[in-house]
Amino acid sequence: MNIPLGHYLILAAILFAIGLAGALTRKNAIIVLMGIEVMFNSAILNLVAFWHYKHFAVPTAQLFAMFSIGIAAAESAIGLALVIAVYRHYKSVDVDEMRALKG
Amino acid sequence: MNIAFWIISAVAVLGAVLAVTLRNLVHCVLALILFFIGIAAHYFLLHADFLGTVQILIYVGAVAILILFAIMLTHNVTGTDGPRELLGLKWWSGAAIAAMLAVVLTRAIQGDKLAAALPAGDRAQSSVAEIGKALVGGWVVPLEAIAVLLTAALIGAVVIALEEIRKSR
Repeated sequence: MNIPLGHYLILAAILFAIGLAGALTRKNAIIVLMGIEVMFNSAILNLVAFWHYKHFAVPTAQLFAMFSIGIAAAESAIGLALVIAVYRHYKSVDVDEMRALKG
Repeated sequence: MNIAFWIISAVAVLGAVLAVTLRNLVHCVLALILFFIGIAAHYFLLHADFLGTVQILIYVGAVAILILFAIMLTHNVTGTDGPRELLGLKWWSGAAIAAMLAVVLTRAIQGDKLAAALPAGDRAQSSVAEIGKALVGGWVVPLEAIAVLLTAALIGAVVIALEEIRKSR
């Protein structure tokens, strides 16, 4: 495989930007969480690409990536529980309608 | 292997774009699953076999289903959704910010010497055995810490989601 490292980094940058666009432009809180998941995955892809190209001999980066995936799973569980709690309160998951803290 | 990289990248980017642009929320989750599988295929391509399996099990198996359940609990099954305004600007202002970030990151990566690095070489056996030894060896404390974190997240998610029911009783 003779793909240079930069290809993976640029792919991860594009995916991160797509996730950011989703988190910024959508009304539904669940889609905002999905955009955050896309950003998480592109960051972890970066980690694995650096492992493959620079430190192939030791599996440390894979463990790091695994723990990142675990923390991302915990984050999405808490985030979706919050979305359900907010839905019970506001009867909506529109992030523009959650303005209880607005001055 | 080059052609595999381009095909998998195209699938992953397509999945990500569809996941954040489609109107139907269930279709969004299906596109997100496509994206997760593309990332897992990239892990296999990078010889991180165990990580690719973990990606499929956790993201496709757990997170995507969790999101589907959240959609079913908060919306009609085919709930739809439109773009929002950001800080009083039109919806495309957020997309413009993201596009600018992509351009800046791409320029920075292209200007870096490290980006031209090529892989150190392929090896015959997978790294799963090494990961297993590391997880029960030097990495056992982080492993237990993440077990505690996941338990706390489980309890926290239940407490947060059940709050209103407890109050009304």
